[in-house]
Amino acid sequence: MDAPFGWKVKPYAAIIGAGRTAFGEQWYKDPEKLLMEAGIGAVESVDSGLRRRDIQACYFGSFLYQATNKLGLVPGYMARELGINIPMNTTEAACGSGGSAFYNACIAIKSGVYDVVLVGGFEKMTDRSSKIIDDLMFAADPHEFDAGFTFSGLYAAMMARYIYDYGRGDRRCLEALAQIACKNHHHAVNNEYAQFRREIRVQDVLKSAPIADPIRLLHCSPISDGAAAVILTKPELAKRFTDTPIYVIGSQQATDDVSLCTRESLTGIKATRLAVGKALKETKLSMENLQIAEVHDCFTIEEAVFLEDSGFYEKGKAWESIYESYESFKGSKHVPYVKDGGGLIVNPGGGLKADGHPVGATGVRQIYECFKQLRKEAGKHQVEVDGDLNLALCDNIGGTGGIATVHILARDIS
Amino acid sequence: MSEPITRRRILVDYRIRASRCVNCGRTYFPPKFFCNTEGRSSRMNYVDYFNSRGTLISGSAIRKPTNKFLHLGSFISGVVSFDDGNVRVPGRITDYTLPDGELDITRLIGRGVVPRFRRLYTDGSQGLIYYSSLNFSFDDDYYPYQEYVKVEPSNTSERPGIVGYGVYLPKFRIKNEEESGLGMKERTVPFADEDTTTFAVEAGKRALIHSGVDGKHVKKCFLGSESTPYAVKPSMSTVCQALQLGEEYEDGFFSGGIDSQFACKAATDLFIDAAALVAYSTFGGEYVMVIGSDNAQAARNDPLDFTVGAGAAAFLFGRRDVIATLDYYVPYTSDTPDFYRREGQKYPRHGGRFTGEPAYFKHVVTAMKAALRVSGLAPKDIRFVVNHSPNAKYPYQAALEAGFEKEQVEPGLVVKYIGNLYSGSSPTALAAVLDLAEPGDCIMMTSYGSGAGSESYIFTVTKEIENKRERSIPVKQQIENLHREYVDYNTYRSWKELS
Repeated sequence: MDAPFGWKVKPYAAIIGAGRTAFGEQWYKDPEKLLMEAGIGAVESVDSGLRRRDIQACYFGSFLYQATNKLGLVPGYMARELGINIPMNTTEAACGSGGSAFYNACIAIKSGVYDVVLVGGFEKMTDRSSKIIDDLMFAADPHEFDAGFTFSGLYAAMMARYIYDYGRGDRRCLEALAQIACKNHHHAVNNEYAQFRREIRVQDVLKSAPIADPIRLLHCSPISDGAAAVILTKPELAKRFTDTPIYVIGSQQATDDVSLCTRESLTGIKATRLAVGKALKETKLSMENLQIAEVHDCFTIEEAVFLEDSGFYEKGKAWESIYESYESFKGSKHVPYVKDGGGLIVNPGGGLKADGHPVGATGVRQIYECFKQLRKEAGKHQVEVDGDLNLALCDNIGGTGGIATVHILARDIS
Repeated sequence: MSEPITRRRILVDYRIRASRCVNCGRTYFPPKFFCNTEGRSSRMNYVDYFNSRGTLISGSAIRKPTNKFLHLGSFISGVVSFDDGNVRVPGRITDYTLPDGELDITRLIGRGVVPRFRRLYTDGSQGLIYYSSLNFSFDDDYYPYQEYVKVEPSNTSERPGIVGYGVYLPKFRIKNEEESGLGMKERTVPFADEDTTTFAVEAGKRALIHSGVDGKHVKKCFLGSESTPYAVKPSMSTVCQALQLGEEYEDGFFSGGIDSQFACKAATDLFIDAAALVAYSTFGGEYVMVIGSDNAQAARNDPLDFTVGAGAAAFLFGRRDVIATLDYYVPYTSDTPDFYRREGQKYPRHGGRFTGEPAYFKHVVTAMKAALRVSGLAPKDIRFVVNHSPNAKYPYQAALEAGFEKEQVEPGLVVKYIGNLYSGSSPTALAAVLDLAEPGDCIMMTSYGSGAGSESYIFTVTKEIENKRERSIPVKQQIENLHREYVDYNTYRSWKELS
């Protein structure tokens, strides 16, 4: 198939349907019910219809279900809920579980074994809110736990070093890292599923409760319940199901040491760098070609370093560009990161920060968001750009960067 | 954690063990068995950073800790590099209370840090207690960095004695607001992650550094205490594992020892045994370490609650490069019930008929006088006299009663500034006078343990003491350390209860 800009790209798969739940506290629903709700939503969203028996396999992503809900064997639960007895797999890759499940599903479709698969990500965190800070540290090296670190603490160490190396005492660096939260809250205001649909100001962030200095409460994504699901099929079959499939043209994953502390850099994520690099290479694109990106902003510093790891901004310079982009924004809807006259809209639905972060659901929710945006079905928070909206990137991180899964989606590949 | 997980973690965490590629020098923490660079041609060795100085390269002030660390409140967790960044480890900053308001962590980046053996958390009140050396204090703060240089001994003494010592006093203090007549001005307070075992490791570490002795030549370790964290499980084995005492073999050590208990003389009682062992050919070892360590316990508002301190002193006995020969020993014991604690009880009972007289004074003075008689020495022949110090009054009175002068007693009365260290009391006082002693000086040390017994030792200081002087951290220096911090009564109680 011809790719944009005249290059040849063979998609991995095509997305033909997507569903999700609202994110936030959902104490009245079991985790499998959330996943079922998202999954059925995805099935029913397929334009030309999809029967349950058309699904040949399921790929689920979740992180903490064994701890939060004392359940295992997700396939067994879902076989009961869906009423089908097909192959099902569960992928655990901490906060990157959803992205990893989607990655595995893409490989499955590309391998030719299956025609149609369902990918679902879910997490039920509030059922164990009193212990969730401890549980999240499963995704860190035990020595980091024993050092007293929390996840916010680990990202705070990343943020502190970033400020030390690149902020160099400039107050604007701190403000830029707060502006990321403000931007993502702004993007979520019109997202009906988002956990936080309210504006916040830079000063709100900088004066919010300290959690792990320099990280404050409003630098952090929340504890959430939720699920998201998408339906994948072979690219050549996609038009049977919908006139507007979204193609997965890049699908890459990279890994690194589980411990932030012992990795080569505290101010960048090697796995992201590798996965983005490979995804851009296989699609023959550059970051400047992309229009929207769903980025793993579990803490605002992560969005900043993504902009550098991906090569969109120069190493150590992202904060300056974030600051300038935010300060110069005159519109009312989505705040783009400006570069060379163009712009990249990051986290158009609010990202993890404002949409919510039920960790295993996030990677699939990112795909959901881009699917909706590229099909111009995002409703009130639909991104508007000059020309066609055609290319999106999803970056899903596990832990503090032990795994990164990157997908590039395209609406038009003809 | 299960016992097997704990055992595996001990091997890494107590010494900050990493693995290093012999070919390229790349170092891995936690240890890996092959080098990423060298692949199948890797040859890996273990290295450790227990005695190293690191650098804080980033961190965070944890305000909302995990449940396991709630007992510590807010604290700094950081990333520490060793070997110019060749290896990095996570670690918690200890002995550090966060200032009010936001902490600018970037101001701490680049500061030198020293590994500290500390308690992490426990599995409830009945489970295991977890320790690690991945805790750090700033090297320009209370606890200075000391290099551990192993020194080949040059002289062998016919008579065994002390070859090195180390005292560890916690950074935190509480002032006694009212003078009780016992002469106690201030007392040492354990930080929330310290206990008797951690004190013992720190004191032992300092004794090794002071003596220059290679730990592998230490064949026995006695740890005297009445506040060991486990009712059944030796603290001595933790000390042995952390300090690597004895020849290593399959992650264990060819060394022995016990935790001993005899109220406040649990450690000093074994000085003679240590000296005897190193002079006994069948023992086959060169050195014995004796540690007196206590987080002295007292019930809230009990009279003891205004005298107890915390800390440890460790002494290495041997026959090579001896700094003070052990010349005379006189023990004296009777079954006198003056101070006791039943199994399962948290605090000791005391203050009955026998406290003071005849318990303390009868045993101490009898042993002192007997030691003078046995040695043929007169009080004027002794330069320093140190006695077990439940307060600053008793040891002074006992010394006067035995015929000594104020000047001989005063240098050892460190109890005024550190409190009663129970098993660490007379050993710390002995260390304080060794800090001042000159070759040829005689020192009499008399300990006392409730229940009851005393023993008097007479030591003679040798020239070797001058060669090791610069490797010690004198007790007075620790007492007067400008970085010491005072805490209020409630903080003192809460930290003490955690230990």
